[in-house]
Amino acid sequence: MKGMVFTSFLEMVENKFSLDVADQIIEASNLPSGGSYTSVGTYPHNEMIQLVVQLAERTGIPVADLVRTFGEYLFTQLIAMYPQFIQEHQTAFSILRKVDNYIHVEVLKLYPDAELPTFEYETSEPGTLIMIYRSSRPFADLAEGLILGCIEHYGENIEVKREPMDEGTAARFVLTERK
Amino acid sequence: MQEIEVLRRQIEREKKARKEAEQIAEQKTREIYYVNQELLQLNDQLEELVKERTAELSLARDEAIEANRIKSQFLANMSHELRTPLNAIIGYSEMLKEEAEDEGVEGFVDDLGKIHHAGKHLLSLINDILDLSKIEAGKMDLYLESCDINTTIQDVLTTVSPLVESNGNRLEFVILQGVMRTDITKLRQILFNLLSNAGKFTKQGTVSLTVSLEAYHGKPGVSFCIQDTGIGMTPEQMDHLFQAFKQADSSTTRKYGGTGLGLAISQRLCQMMGGHIAVESVYEQGTTFTVWLPSSGSNPDCESVLPEEGSQSYLDEGHNTILVIDDDPAMLQLMQRYLSKEGYAVIVARNGQEGIRLAKERRPSVISLDVLMPGMDGWTVLTTLKSDPELAGIPIIMISMTDDRNLGYALGASDFLIKPVNRDKIISVLDKHIMERQSDSILVIEDDLATSQMMTRMLVKEGYRVIRAGDGRIALECVAQSIPQFILLDLMMPNMDGFEFVTELRKRDEWRSIPVVVLTAKDITAEDRMRLNGYVENIVQKGHWRREDLLEEIRNLLIGARTNR
Ligand code: HEM
Ligand SMILES: Nc1ncnc2c1ncn2[C@@H]1O[C@H](COP(=O)(O)OP(=O)(O)O)[C@@H](O)[C@H]1O
Ligand SMILES: [Mg+2]
Repeated sequence: MKGMVFTSFLEMVENKFSLDVADQIIEASNLPSGGSYTSVGTYPHNEMIQLVVQLAERTGIPVADLVRTFGEYLFTQLIAMYPQFIQEHQTAFSILRKVDNYIHVEVLKLYPDAELPTFEYETSEPGTLIMIYRSSRPFADLAEGLILGCIEHYGENIEVKREPMDEGTAARFVLTERK
Repeated sequence: MQEIEVLRRQIEREKKARKEAEQIAEQKTREIYYVNQELLQLNDQLEELVKERTAELSLARDEAIEANRIKSQFLANMSHELRTPLNAIIGYSEMLKEEAEDEGVEGFVDDLGKIHHAGKHLLSLINDILDLSKIEAGKMDLYLESCDINTTIQDVLTTVSPLVESNGNRLEFVILQGVMRTDITKLRQILFNLLSNAGKFTKQGTVSLTVSLEAYHGKPGVSFCIQDTGIGMTPEQMDHLFQAFKQADSSTTRKYGGTGLGLAISQRLCQMMGGHIAVESVYEQGTTFTVWLPSSGSNPDCESVLPEEGSQSYLDEGHNTILVIDDDPAMLQLMQRYLSKEGYAVIVARNGQEGIRLAKERRPSVISLDVLMPGMDGWTVLTTLKSDPELAGIPIIMISMTDDRNLGYALGASDFLIKPVNRDKIISVLDKHIMERQSDSILVIEDDLATSQMMTRMLVKEGYRVIRAGDGRIALECVAQSIPQFILLDLMMPNMDGFEFVTELRKRDEWRSIPVVVLTAKDITAEDRMRLNGYVENIVQKGHWRREDLLEEIRNLLIGARTNR
């Protein structure tokens, strides 16, 4: 997983909780990297899981909620780093539809070692976008957060329903425009 | 204390992260450097490779060119070797066939005819191959000469018309009067190829040849348009056109024969002469080939002898057009030949209906009409034309086997001729009906009375008005009184000689365009020529001219002068 995900995460912990909490979760996790991350590096995604689990224990907030919140935060960081993607799109649906076949494709060109999920889209009904998340890692919550962050960025009124799927880490997001 | 500990650890982590980031940065920098290095090297290699390949290619090209040259050389030699025995086969088979005919050995006549025919076919094939290889070997020479367009085309038409008509086709033509500088044999060959293709690929249709003046990129030239209503070609078939040995598709060979060399040769010949061929075709509807050749030959320094652009319209101007309506192709061709020699544009119609249609469309100045025709006969055509107020004014000359002149005149015919009609007769009748021609006057300037009288007689007989002047000074007075259309000038004369006369004549704007032909007994020196150059149309030596040639030249010059007016 790219270092910028970790630095963003710790940044969020420091801001939303405290420096102390950030320190605690790092110390409590058994991290090969020792918890020192640089955005240009790459680290095992397990470290992220450990950090989140520790944070949940310490704060009593469920892991899923934490990851989702992080996703929202991460989205603001991502668009700060790659503003061109946002500039190219006027609505949340439009940018969300481009994640799989454009944004992540570009990301992979920059970071050949990035590990990215895939999204499948269903757009048969007007005003509704269905995204099916699939990944070798369990970051559906992160995806949900990113989707929410994206909707928030555009200030749109869209309902996001998440439906579990039978296959492993996959998840189905039903996004409906509210009138 | 606790807080300091946290901060220390935080700083520790940050330091470690920074070091790691620096390491990564350094490593990336190195990677970039190496990749760059590799790229540079690759670039060098590529350049090297390109050089190598270029050298290889140029060698291959040289080899190919050389191989092609050798092939062409071989073909040229071979063709010659083949032609010699083939000529013997053709000659002997023809001779034997005649003998067999004489001796009544019918069984042989047929077979010998086949040998003869096959031999000739083979010969034409070999000739084509020889031509093509000559062109490709750069050994085809051009012989540019002054070419009378009309005569050349008539020649081609005579050769090709049985071929075209054998498929039940009608051959139409609009020919142009004029002279161009070109290689006559090659022009003939090109036109023959295209016309015979048109005839071959058309059944029960029309093949037409239209010759017109046309400038291309500002260069004066002549365009020959060969149009047919035959099988046409698809765009795919046209893609392969002009390639040697290519026919539209392989079934063509089976159905129509041929080698696929005609177009390739025609195009190469055109290009050699500084021209080009274009093609347009609609599948199952017909094909149009257009050949354009410069009128001054491929040599741009050569002055064009053709009338300037714009004079082209004389072809269509009603007052010079004659419509010939006759069902007999031989008659049409004859008339075409006679009349276009006189500088008229000739339109032909094979039957009454078409004649009426063309009369409406083209408004000819005179119509010549055959009486006996299948379908609508001449009388019906005559009454139809005379009852149309817009066409009633066109003089109609009836041509018939039987003397029904009274009926003809009663129905409104202007003249009545009985077949067979000879050339002079038809022309004099036509002349009678073409006003312009009657006003043509010729000034004969000649001090020798006998010569002057002789010339006058000859010209008057042709229907010209003649004015005579005994020397240059008198001639100038004549011109001042009334401008002649043409001047025939002697050089050695008392008072004012021919040289002085033309110099004076060319000083006045309105006199400058009168065509002058010098007829002299003087031995013309290069200096004389220089003095007359640009002032006179032609110099003819007394005793070295033929009556027909001179008359023809006068006619042509008069047409030219008329169109320049
Ligand atoms: C400006 C737009 C975006 C950029 C530049 C971007 C870039 C990235 C990057 C760099 C990663 C890290 C890859 C790694 O860890 O190796 C990532 C992962 C991820 N991205 Fe995006 N992303 C964008 C938008 C989105 C959005 C809108 C979604 C959700 C629909 C999304 C879903 C995810 C998920 C779930 C991951 C985690 C990896 C996984 O689940 O396998 N991304 N993205
Ligand atoms: N007037 C035409 N109408 C239709 N097809 C034509 C015409 N002229 C030429 N073609 C096509 O182009 C081919 C090449 O013509 P050419 O080079 O004269 O060779 P050949 O007449 O020996 O076949 C012909 O075989 C025919 O398929
Ligand atoms: Mg041919």
